[in-house]
Order: sequence, then structure tokens, then C-alpha cells
Amino acid sequence: MCRTGRQPDPHEAGDEKAADAAFAALLEDSAEDLYESAPCGYLSTLMDGTIAKINTTLLNWLGLERQTVVGRMRFTDLLTVGGKLYHETHFAPLLRMQDEISGIALEIKQDGGGRIPVLVSSVIKYGSMGELLLIRTTIFDARDRRAYEEELLRGRKAAEEARKQAEADRARLQDALAVLQQSLLPDTLPQVPGVETSAYYHTASPDRLGGDFYDVFPVDGKRFAFFLGDVCGKGPEAAALTSLTRYTLRAAALHNPEPVSALTTLNKVLHERYSGSGDPRYCTAVFGTLEAGPATGQTTVRLASGGHPPALVLRADGTADYLPTPGGLLVGVLPEARFTTAATVLSPGDTLLLYTDGLTEARTGKDRTSLYGDDGLLAFATSHAGTPPHAVVQALTGLLDSFGDGLDDDTALLALGVPASHP
Amino acid sequence: MSPLKITTRDATTGPVWEISGALDYTTAPELLARLTTLALRPGRRLVLDLTGMDFCDSSGISALIAARNHAHAQQADVALAAVPAHTLRVLRIVGLDQIFPLYPDSATAAR
Amino acid sequence: MDTVRRNNVTVTGNPQGRPVVLAHGFGCDQNMWRLTVPALAEDYRVVLFDYVGSGRSEPSAFQEDRYSSLDGYAGDVVEVCEALDLRDAVFVGHSVSAMTGVLAAGTAPERIGALVMVAPSPRYIDDDGYRGGFSADDIDELLASLEANYLGWSAAMAPLIMGNAERPELGEELKNSFCATDPEMARVFARTTFLSDSRDDLKQVAVPTLVLECSQDVIAPREVGAFVHRAIPGSTLVTLDATGHCPHLSAPEATNEAILKFLAALR
Repeated sequence: MCRTGRQPDPHEAGDEKAADAAFAALLEDSAEDLYESAPCGYLSTLMDGTIAKINTTLLNWLGLERQTVVGRMRFTDLLTVGGKLYHETHFAPLLRMQDEISGIALEIKQDGGGRIPVLVSSVIKYGSMGELLLIRTTIFDARDRRAYEEELLRGRKAAEEARKQAEADRARLQDALAVLQQSLLPDTLPQVPGVETSAYYHTASPDRLGGDFYDVFPVDGKRFAFFLGDVCGKGPEAAALTSLTRYTLRAAALHNPEPVSALTTLNKVLHERYSGSGDPRYCTAVFGTLEAGPATGQTTVRLASGGHPPALVLRADGTADYLPTPGGLLVGVLPEARFTTAATVLSPGDTLLLYTDGLTEARTGKDRTSLYGDDGLLAFATSHAGTPPHAVVQALTGLLDSFGDGLDDDTALLALGVPASHP
Repeated sequence: MSPLKITTRDATTGPVWEISGALDYTTAPELLARLTTLALRPGRRLVLDLTGMDFCDSSGISALIAARNHAHAQQADVALAAVPAHTLRVLRIVGLDQIFPLYPDSATAAR
Repeated sequence: MDTVRRNNVTVTGNPQGRPVVLAHGFGCDQNMWRLTVPALAEDYRVVLFDYVGSGRSEPSAFQEDRYSSLDGYAGDVVEVCEALDLRDAVFVGHSVSAMTGVLAAGTAPERIGALVMVAPSPRYIDDDGYRGGFSADDIDELLASLEANYLGWSAAMAPLIMGNAERPELGEELKNSFCATDPEMARVFARTTFLSDSRDDLKQVAVPTLVLECSQDVIAPREVGAFVHRAIPGSTLVTLDATGHCPHLSAPEATNEAILKFLAALR
């Protein structure tokens, strides 16, 4: 305690002598004794590491006799093998480069085989001519600190493990979702004689299963069926509904490929499955058939719609128009539903385009408040009329990309066209 | 978009619910929850006044259908009043304009 | 990514001189060569770099797959040589880097015309009839040491750097080089270094080679130096009177002298 500048209190006066005596006793503590029995280890080594001087505290920790250490052992001999490696690759180079190093965690070996975690600091002592003389090292017992650090490390490792696990789980889940998503859509479209097909699926979010679907498949010797639709909602429930819808339509079409018949079957299945569930679910769908027409190079399309936006027909002559299917009801709402049919003939260069409302409901404009809408789509289609299905789909894919964040829903596109005849 | 708000009042034909704000994926469950507590006597009519509804997505449409199913289960009916143009367009596309009685306003719907 | 930036490449010395590439080993960075550079600078074009994952290399360039084998580090060497369009360079590699140089010289013989291997070891772990000096358990222990020291590293280093008032730039350099290394990257380098086995690659060395070993080296004992010398046809072995694994720091004059003598004989 610093007593300078402080007037002793009167009642302390009697104790003053005793206190001074105690203080003097402290001062008698010789530097040598302080060195030998300091609460830390002291070590002086030659530049090659040979131990020149070591204090009693450190000898006691090591369980070694002075004569077996001084002049006979190097500093690294006191360390564990891992510590030796660390010393050579980190400690020694750093010490050489900056003349001192402090607070390095190492372990010293005890004679009995035990180990003591320590914190080591060293400085290089130079001679008067600037020559390297020796290395002075202090060693602190770090058993408590190390236990605490190990606790922290364990915690960090556990957190790291948990993070890795979570990442792996997430990756697995995404893989599973991708597989599931693929089961909702055909890998490739089949070859339809006399018809070129092209499809595209835009996923709004990789984490959520989409609710749009499409397919093209043969139903009998002369006809192919196709469908495209949109189930309400997203996520696993929507995916289950999509799956039910896709496989119901495929099975129904094999039984009777008439468009109204297929949609009626789907309506019954969905209504029965979901109406009593408390979580009613519906879908919109266009279902149709393709049949080679009486004249070569012509294909007759018959389709029915259940609550789905009307299909577009792009003609070879550069015109385009909707193929209205008014009044077709959302599929699955009522036990008995009405569907509207429409028919057209595709001549060489004509393309039928089916889409889901992600396209027409995309928000455009600077503040994203306008809808792309039916008119916008019709104008776009007109400007691409006469181009083959893959070119139409490619152009629309570019259009979808251009919507940026104005497009927040999944969007499916399916184009079916009769190739233009090349004279 | 504004949050969903439902104001209820009674007309001679039955309850009138004024729906304002957005009826979508996040808010449709509110309407569904409200419906489960609604008891309708046979022959009565629930009028959904959509004057203030500024947005309705497919979940909103589903909720409207749920309202209709709920009413029908009690031998009652649902009418839509003042359907905004955009929603009307969607209702037409999905064919629901044929199954919901539609009125220009709630007064006519509750007559 | 630009290799020069990625590997923190520094070029100094005589622009007309034969290029000498100095490559640091595990645990360090190009600062290791600070006592070597002045001896070479007058006559040679000196190229220094940090391996990705060390020193001031670009952390985002680290890929665990690539740097889990010495080929990845050798790739850094070749890419640095290509970026500077070095031809017939002398590659000086310390410790594990000596082996990296062997691999790089094998892939890009037109780039590397001679090797100086400072305290090399082609395999650190003892094997049937081979004494590398360590067991697999020892390496685990080193990894634990790395871990223990990264935990409190910055706290331990900060006062040291503050205290180095006369040469603040030195402190800053060291702080950046040793503290900035991500412990995860250091662990990968440690594993790659100490679990590697490049003994078979030594036979393929076809360029003049100087093997520098220390008289007392815990990491690369003299048996290992002799092994490397025997395995590389026509190599020169010089045993430096030095203790430890870094003769270029602990005995810089002798190390420089040996390197310069070798370089002079190449001409």
C-alpha cells in the first residue's frame, strides 16, 4: 500500500512500529529468493535453446533436479511433441523476428509423465555490442485457464457441429424437394408425330414446392393428351395436390381421353378428397388432345378448361388470339362441375400456348403496381406469332426474367406447334 | 397493402361482413377462423361486402369458397357484394361468377 | 482471381537478375525471409508470396479440397510463376515448401530450374524403416496446440505489438500475418504438411538441388536430411551449424552464404 502523502490517523500511531517491521521483512526478501520461489517459472537459455538457468518453482513443477537440466537439456525438451512442433513452426520464428513473444499456450512434461498447461513468454537479451546473448522465458501455470478455454472450445465445437448438421439437413431437404418437384413434371416431353413441343417451368423459390404442372403423353394409337394447370397454394400440401392431379389426369385420359371427361373425373377425385377435409383445395387446369388432322400437316386440338386462363393460338400469318373457354369452373369446388370445350386446327407454323397466371399476374412498372395482364401477353404473343414453339418459349423465358422481382409466383409454359412447311 | 379487417353488422337477410384490406395467403386464415364461429339459420344469407378489399389471391378465393361451403352446410347462402374489378376478372376466369350470387353493393345483396 | 493479389506476391531485388522464389513453410508467411532477401537483392530478382490460407493471402480463395494436398500448394507456386512469367527460376522452399517446390518443378519444368530445400522433410511420420521423427498422435497434439493458441491469440499478441514502438510496421506486419490466418485454414495446412508423404517424388527431381539441413532440428532430424540428399540424384547437402527448424532466422549468415554459393555455381 502506498503511504506517501497521507497523515497517519492518531489511533494508528501505536501500530506504526509493528507495520514498519513487517514492511522491512518484506524488503529483506532477496532478489535471489524471489527468483527461485516466484509464483512462476523462470528460465534462461542460450540461443540454441540450451537451458542455462532455471528457478526452483519450475524445477518443482517438472519434478527434475537442477543438475539434470542445466547445461543438459534444451527448452524444447521440456515440451510435449505437439508443443515442440508448435515451438518450431510458430514460437521460435516469431521470437526471432520480433525479439519477444508472449502468452503462448504450451504444455510442459512432468517427470512422472504428467503435463501442465502453461503460458509462455520469452524475450531475447542482447549484449552491449548488439549480439544475441540469451533468451529469458517466464512460464505461468495455466491449468485453470486451460480448463476454462477447453470448455469454450468444446462449446464452439458443439456449435460448429450443430451448424454443419443444420446445413447438411438443409441440403438434404433441398435435394428431396428437387426430386419431389421433378416427379411433378415430366423429365422430357415425348416425341409427338407432326408436332413440336416445348415447355418451361419457372420456380419462384427453391425452398418451396411449386403448384404448377404440365404433361404431354400418348393416349391411344392416334392421339396425344396434354395438360397444364395450377393448384392453389404452395408447399408440401400443394405438391401432394399436384401429384394427385397429375396422376389422376393421366389415368383418366387412358380410360377416356375426351377433355371434359378427364376434367370431370379430376373434379370428382379432388372434391371427394378435399371437400370434407376442412382444408378445401382446388386447381385450375387445361386438358386437351392432339390428333393429326384430315389434311397432312394439320393437327386438331380439342381442349377443355376448368377455371384456367384461356390458351393462346399463334398463327403462322403473324396473328394471335385467345381460344376462349368461358365458364369452366375451378376443379374440385363443386361435386358436379361444368367445363367448357373449345377446338381449333393447327396448320403448319401455328402454335398453341398454355401458361399459368404467374405470367399474366406478374407485376410490372416502376413501382410494380401494374399487372402484365391478358392484353400485354396477347401483344407479346402476336409479335412472336409464326415462330416455332421453342422460340416462343425462349422469348417468354426472357420476358419472365425481365420481370425480376415483379414475378413472385411459379410459372409454367407449354407450347405445341405444327412445324412450318419448308417449300 | 393494408392488413385484413372484417367489420360485421346485421341486415334483415342475415349477417353482412365488410372485408377490407388484403385477403391473401397470410390473412385468409383469419376469415376462415371467423367463419367457424358463425352460425347461420337455414334460408339466411351471409353477405360479404368486398368494397374495401384491395387484394385477393388464390388463397383469398379459397376462403370465399370456404364461406360458401360453410353456409351451404347450414342450408344458408353466401352472396358477394361490390366485387372489385380485378377480383371479378379472376372469379370469371375460374368460373366462380356462376356459383356466387354477385351484387353491385351490400344493400342490394341484403334485399 | 488475380494470382498476384491472391498470393500477396511481392517482387523485389534486381529486375535483371535470375528470379529466386522464396516460399515459406507451415506456420509462417513471407516475412520469414526478411533476413534472406537483402543478401539476394543485389543480384537476383526476388519473388515472395504467401500460400493461400497463410499470411495476407486472399482468404476467399481458400478451398479445403484444393489445399488438402500438397499439389494444391504446388499449384499456387506454378500459378505465381505463370503470373510473373518466370522462367528458369530458383525455387527456395522452407520445410514442407521444399516438397511443394519438387512437385511444382515436376509440373512446370520450364519455370523452375533449380531447387534450394531448407530443412526439408518428405515425410514427418515414422514409417517402416524410415524415421521421420513423429507419430500420428504427435500430429494430433500439434493440432491441439494450434487450437489452444488461436483462442487467445489476438489478446496475447496485441500488447506485444503495441510495445514494439521503434518498428511499428514490423508489429503490424506480424499481427496481420499471424493473427489473420483463419484457424480452420491453418488446420488444413498442418494436416496436409504433417500427413504428407513425398518420398517417392524426390527421385524425379531433375534440376540442380541444394539441401540445407540444421545440425539440431527437432522437425527435420539429420537422418531426414540424409534421406533427401540420397534420394535426389546429384544433390548437394550442406549441414548448417544451427539449432531449430528455421536456419534462415537463427543462422542467417551461414544460410545466405550457402544459398549464394549454390546460386553462383549455377551460372
